[in-house]
Order: sequence, then structure tokens, then C-alpha cells
Amino acid sequence: APSICSTTPETRLTALDNGLRVASEETGHGTCTVGLWISAGSRYESEKNNGAGFFLEHMAFKGTKKHPQTALEQQVESMGAHLSAYTSREHTAYYMKTLSKDLPKAVELLSEVVQSSSLSEADIEQQRGVVLRELEEVEGNLQDVCLDLLHATAFQGTPLGHSVLGPSSNARSLTRQDLMDYINSHYKAPRIVLAAAGGVNHEELVGLAKTHFSGVSFEYEGDAVPVLSPCRFTGSEIRMRDDGLPLAHIAIAVEGASAASPDIVPLMVANSIIGSYDITYGGGKHLSSRLARLAVEENLCHSFQAFHSSYSDTGLLGIYFVTDKHHIDDMMHWMNLCTTVTESDVARGKNALKASLVGQLNGTTPICDDIGRHILNYGRRIPLAEWDARIDAVTPRMVRDVCSKYIYDKCPAVAGVGPVEQLPDYNRMRSAMYWLRF
Amino acid sequence: MKKEKRETISKQLRWKCFSAVSSASGLASASFSCCGRFGIAAYRRYSSGSGYPNISLSSPLPGIPKPVFASVDGQEKYETKITTLENGLKVASQNKFGQFCTVGVLVNSGSRHETKYPSGIAHFLEKLAFSSTAQYGSKDEILLTLEKHGGICDCQTSRDTTMYAVSAEVKGLDTVVSLLSDAVLQPRLLDEEIEMTRMAVRFELEDLNMRPDPEPLLTEMIHAAAYRGNTVGLPRFCPGDNVDKIDKKVLHNYLRSYYCPERMVLAGVGIEHEQLVECARKHLLDVRPVWGESTPTNVDLSVAQYTGISIYFPDECLTQKEYFVSLSQEDDFIPFAVLNMMMGGGGSFSAGGPGKGMFTRLYLNVLNRHHWMYNATSYHHSYEDSGLLCIHASADPRQVREMVEIITREFIQMAGTAGEMELERAKTQLKSMLMMNLESRPVIFEDVGRQVLSTGKRKLPHELCTLISNVTASDIKRVTTKMLRSKPAVAALGDLTELPSYEHIQAALSSKDGRLPRMYRLFR
Repeated sequence: APSICSTTPETRLTALDNGLRVASEETGHGTCTVGLWISAGSRYESEKNNGAGFFLEHMAFKGTKKHPQTALEQQVESMGAHLSAYTSREHTAYYMKTLSKDLPKAVELLSEVVQSSSLSEADIEQQRGVVLRELEEVEGNLQDVCLDLLHATAFQGTPLGHSVLGPSSNARSLTRQDLMDYINSHYKAPRIVLAAAGGVNHEELVGLAKTHFSGVSFEYEGDAVPVLSPCRFTGSEIRMRDDGLPLAHIAIAVEGASAASPDIVPLMVANSIIGSYDITYGGGKHLSSRLARLAVEENLCHSFQAFHSSYSDTGLLGIYFVTDKHHIDDMMHWMNLCTTVTESDVARGKNALKASLVGQLNGTTPICDDIGRHILNYGRRIPLAEWDARIDAVTPRMVRDVCSKYIYDKCPAVAGVGPVEQLPDYNRMRSAMYWLRF
Repeated sequence: MKKEKRETISKQLRWKCFSAVSSASGLASASFSCCGRFGIAAYRRYSSGSGYPNISLSSPLPGIPKPVFASVDGQEKYETKITTLENGLKVASQNKFGQFCTVGVLVNSGSRHETKYPSGIAHFLEKLAFSSTAQYGSKDEILLTLEKHGGICDCQTSRDTTMYAVSAEVKGLDTVVSLLSDAVLQPRLLDEEIEMTRMAVRFELEDLNMRPDPEPLLTEMIHAAAYRGNTVGLPRFCPGDNVDKIDKKVLHNYLRSYYCPERMVLAGVGIEHEQLVECARKHLLDVRPVWGESTPTNVDLSVAQYTGISIYFPDECLTQKEYFVSLSQEDDFIPFAVLNMMMGGGGSFSAGGPGKGMFTRLYLNVLNRHHWMYNATSYHHSYEDSGLLCIHASADPRQVREMVEIITREFIQMAGTAGEMELERAKTQLKSMLMMNLESRPVIFEDVGRQVLSTGKRKLPHELCTLISNVTASDIKRVTTKMLRSKPAVAALGDLTELPSYEHIQAALSSKDGRLPRMYRLFR
């Protein structure tokens, strides 16, 4: 069989003795991004410590046992490096962008941040104020508020319904012990991946990992391994009506596929057929998505975006749109599009999807992030050749069938923020889910 | 019967995947790796969705040939190659491995050239780019053709350059160049397209005015203040009254003067130079543009005249007050870039983490000491014949006077000797920012295009890094002293009742310590 000559370098994966995985892609750049991707997030938190991961992210750069705060900051600044972190529902990442020659120093600093963060009481108190202020600021970003409400209602009563930032009551009451408990129960070697991309050499990276990360434990106290309980999806709705806001933000979703499910590929193709749109796009009537064309011709909305958030055993497949209060009803007809998918739509969607998968990998940080997340989700990095093969295998019939498996006659979860008076009653929306005609 | 068998098989496959994953990753992960969730989705009876091959993404797809990966040998010391065609068009390319390339046309035309025309042509051209052309009946056709090669197209205008760029697979190079030549030289500019552009421009202007972040408006104002009524000072966004004045005839007049081959560069990243030159010869040589022969007679060659003045925009509704002071600089681009890095600054809430400039002067001296300031940032705008170094600050209207004084003091201190550690830090940060930005292909493309357009050559990143390393403290002192001799330009937005007068600000900047002249008021 002929072999596909790929134009990207291989991602190499090694596991240390304690289970920590090391992965890297050597691209020959003069800079590199290296980081730790950890399988921990708001899903692993309970009601009492919801927000601990986010608080910990704030505390991370406030000093370690070897480098107090100013020393750490000056080190990073003098290297000309950027140190960042993010927390999501199932993943936490700490990563550093730097020049390739500074890789050893970067790995050393990262190992300290994760393993021996000082977490002094004074800093914790100071960061409380910062976290509370950030919680306040986030309330102004209506897209995030809407999507958080969507998760809260769709996965109500389960850990996936928690928001990543946690409630302000927890921000006020979390103690040092809570943060230490969080680290001790979740930062375990088999759940951590050290990923790097750029001008990095895999052997060198593995050597550095052995030096700094061999001490990461892989055993749980009392052998109590935390078990991720399945999170049930509840078809429901939540409305935050506020007629004072100029635009309504609405998100509708059904339960989607889990991260490693093979159905993800047809669903991603379906999403790229619906696409996204914003009123400042200059394309007007000639945009490729049919919904976008309708939106322009009849001035239906300010923006919309089809999305699919997938977690390890479940997901949310839906559409998010922003419109003014008189057009909400008209925008609800997106579901019809899943039945009327044609050959050319699918061909276009597949091309667009393949292009966007490659186009996103522009620069060492997106590549490193991709490596980290793939290994946490799939246990391996999926090479572009395989993505291409899986996408090519999608046919219009497959798209229709897979979409109907997830969308037809299913209870949606709906979240609306703003002047949502025109948003139809939930029962009407639920019944609209079986009007699809084949 | 069959359905159940399929489901059992899929269950078995799923468990196989999970055991493979867990054995690879050690002990503890087995219990909480994705437990097969055999919920409703898998048990649908009437839909055939579960009948398709379901190999989970955690295991490799069988049947595809094993890919041969590329290997990186040594450093990527590819050179930028430049060729000039017979009609004056320059072709520049930089090779880079990968199956995608970015190719585009950069034109030496922008809002600075609109002196003899109604302002806003550049804004219109940006929105009209890649609409219907001689070969392609509509934007939809263009996007369809591009999608076959996995490509996207984009146009960006700035004060002095217009850039049409396409990113696509390398195999589609010929189509891409033909499309570019069509879009740049033969746009149809139909009435309905111009009408839609008018709407889009109006929306953008509305959006700019509604935004809480005043930075684009202030940038416009400071340029207008610094270069009153000429070249770079002309507005970049179409002023509201000109939206209806611009039509096909005006656009053609402009294009005739400015879109000529000598003012254009065809740049490409990720492709072989010879291939690009061949495509350029085929599609861009001897092509008659749709507006007739380009006659570069009415070309505005004016050099930017720096005039420092002040522009105020009093607005009682804003609670913040924004304030920009800037001074001109001519050559010495690199020392000014280092100086800008050293001043740094940002929002007072947070720098954004280590590495984002928390030890720069504006943070250490200004934001950390005066918590009432919302924001203090330094910017550096540079054009081929002049430039601006600005400090933007914002605070509550009642503290305008202190804010102005703090900023003028910072300016004066720039002319003092820079500390060795802070200078080294600024240089390292600038070098690493340069290298990190140049990881991305579109950025490399813009860098190649702009450098070749303005100087005819391209300095490679490592050359720029050497130049940066050679900057000394005396260089900084020299350029700052020269800069401080010119008049300042001031732009302010918000409730301006307490703002010191322009003469006072000027006096402060020429004084030794940067303090504002004392004002004695009998009645406060």
C-alpha cells in the first residue's frame, strides 16, 4: 500500500515510569511552547470546592518554594517568555512560550509551579479580591454567561453543570487546605501530560521530564481513586430575562457525542455546514452557509455560531445566536437544515473542516495545545492523515443519520439571556424537534 | 438480532480501546478513563445512526496507509528571494515546509494617499475586496473555488498599505495567483456591491462609537493631531458624511493612480520562488486593469508632515478620560521599538501573568504606585518617513491633572539613562516577541510583503535580532532627546474640564522634571 507522505513532523510520545506522558513535535522553529496538560477541572469538584481549580490557577504564579513571587516573575520576564494557564471543565493547562534555547529553564519553572507552589496565606487573601473582581467582570460577557447557563441547565445536578469559576461564596471561603487537597487528589502522574512543540528535541525533553517530574506521585491516599460519575443530560430551559439589554443571547443544544466517539466527525462536518456568521462579515448574500444567507437576506440576527463541546462521556451539540428581540422566533428554524443537507453542502463542509483543522495549527502554541488535549482525550495524537481519512469517509447519508440520532425527537436544553420574551415556550420547542421530514 | 450483535461488537471495541489506553498510561487512570456510556444514544431503535463503522477516536483507523512524517533537518535558514518583473512588479517569496501556503498582493496605497479624494476609499476597498470580478461572477464563486483547495481569502487596509491575502494548499498556487490578479486588477464594483459595502461601513462606524474600548477612536485622533490634515493624519475609517459620496467613478479614479505594478509586491510564503515568478508572469504581467491603463500621474508623494497640535473630544457622558501624548521620530526604528518595550504598560487590573510586561516602567512607576489610573500603555506607530511614540492613559475625570503630570514626567525620564537590567530585559522581550510572532505563516507573509514594499529587501529574523542586541543605553538617550525637541501632539476624549492647556503640557515636556507649571487660582 502506498504510504502517505505527510508534510508535518511526527508527534512522539513516551511514558515515564510513574505514568506521566511526554509528547512533542519538533518543527525547527527558534521558539517553542512547553506545558503541562492535566486531567482536572471543574467536573472533578464538588459543590463545596467548586472554583478551587480556578483559584489555584490564580495562585500558580505567585511563587514557589524555590522562587518567591518576584524572583519567579523576573526570571520569566528576563527570559522574554510568556507564562500562562487556563482551566476548563475537564482540563487544566499551565504552559510557557519561550525561545528554544531556554527549554530546560522552562521545564524547571513549570515543574515547580505545579509541584511546589508556595500558596501562602497572605497571597490567598489577596487573590480572593482579584478572583471576586474577575467574577464580576465575567458577568458582563454575555456569551460566556449564556453558555454557562446552558451547561448549568443541561447538566443540572451533576458536576458538569458547575461553572469553571465557581460561585462567589466559594471564592470567599476557600482555604489553603482546600487548595492543597485539590492538588493532592488530582495532580497525579498518569493524568498529566508534558507536551511541547517548536524547536524541541524529544530525547532532551524526556530527560528533563525524568529529572523534574519523577517525583510526581501516582498513588492515591487510602487507594481512593476518584471515579468520574456519568453526568446525565436533562432537557430543560433557563431564561434570564432582562428587557434592558439591547440584544438577546440564546443557546440551544441537544446531548452530543463524547470526545472519543467516532460520531464526532460527521457532527463536525454538520457544524461546518451550518457554520458561523457575524453581521460585520462583508460577504453579505454570498456566504456559503445557507443559514447565513437567510440571516443576511431577512436580517435575522447579529451573529450565530454552531458549536459542539465534548467531554469524556457526553457532549453538547447546538447553536448559539445573538439577535434583537423581534427576530428570535424566526431564528428557531435552524433545525430543518439537518434534514435538507445536500451532496454539495457536505463536500463544502468537509473541505472547510479539513482546512480549518490544518489552519488552526499555526504557531507552536496551538500545536502544543492540540497535542496536550489529544493525548488527554484520545490517548494519542491523531495525525492529520487520519483526520483526512475519517472526514473523507463522511457521506451525506451519514450526516443525516448521525444528526437524526442526536437531534430528532430529543429534548433540547435552552438558555436565554436578555430580552427573551419572544423565545417560544419550551414545549413548543420540544415538539418542533420532531417536525423534521425526511 | 443483527442490531444487537452490532451493539455487542461495538461494546467490545470500546472496552478494547479503553484497556489499551489505560495500560499505556499506568495504574490510576483505568477507573476514570471514559467509561463507556451506553445511554440512550447508542440504543436508538429506529435510527440507523449506530450502524456506521464506529472506531473510537482513541484507536487508529484501520486500513489507512502508515504516514511517512517529515523530518526537520537543521535550522530553517531559508532565504527570502526577490525578483522584479519587467513592469515593475516585485515578486518575493520565503520557503517553509508544510502543505499550505499564503500568497498575496500588497499595494503601496492606503488612507494616507487620499489627500485629493474623499476620505474613506481605503475602507471601502477593504470591504469590497474579493467581490465579483471579470472571471468570477460573485463572491460565492470565489469562495467555492477556494474551498476546493482548502483556502480562505482576506483583505486588510492600513494607513499606508493594502494587503490582499489568500491561504490555500500549495497545489492550488496557479488558481490562487489568477484569483488574486483578478481581484486586485479587475473588480467589477457593481452598484449592489457598493450599496452593501455602504451598509457594512455604517455598521462598523456605529460599532466603533458604541464600544466601551476607545482605543481605535483615540488612535485616529492622535494621528489627526500629530499630522494635521496630511498623509498619515487622514482618517482611516470612512467619515460618516463620505459614505454616500464614494461610488464606482471615484474608486476608479483612485485605483487608476495608485494600483500600478511599480507600487505592488506579490509575496508568498511556503512555495518555491520559481513557481511563484512563473505564475506572476502568467497572470500579472501585461494584464489590462478594468479601469484602463494605470497612469501614475496623480500620485501623492507627500512626505508626512509632523505638526504637533491637540485635538479634544469633550464628551460629558464618559466617566473615563483618555489621553494620548505622542512625539515624532524619524529613523532609529529599532531603538524606538526597544524603548516602547521598556515602557510597556497595560490595564491596571492585571498585566496578564508573568511575561506580559509586569516589570516595565509604566507598570512599576505608574500603575503600581497610582492605583486610581485605569490604564497606561505605550504604543509605537511607524511609517516609512515618520513615526509616533505615544503613551495612552485613562483615569477618572477628576484626576486629569495629576495623570497628565505623571505622563509628562515619564516622557522626561525616558531621556535619562536606562538601567542595564531593564534594557536587557526589554531587548530580550522584543526579540522573543519577534520570534514568537514569526511562527505563524500569515505573519511571515505580512513581514516579507511589507519589508519588500517599503525597502525592496527583507531583513531575516536573526538579522533583526542582532540589530536589537546592538542597541545601547546611549542610543536610547540620543533618540529620546531628539524626540523631545519636537512639539507634542495631544488627543483627549471624555470629560475634559480639568485638562491642562496645550501650552502647559508643552512647557512640561520641555522642562527638566516634567512638572506642569503651577497654576494659581483664586477661586477653586
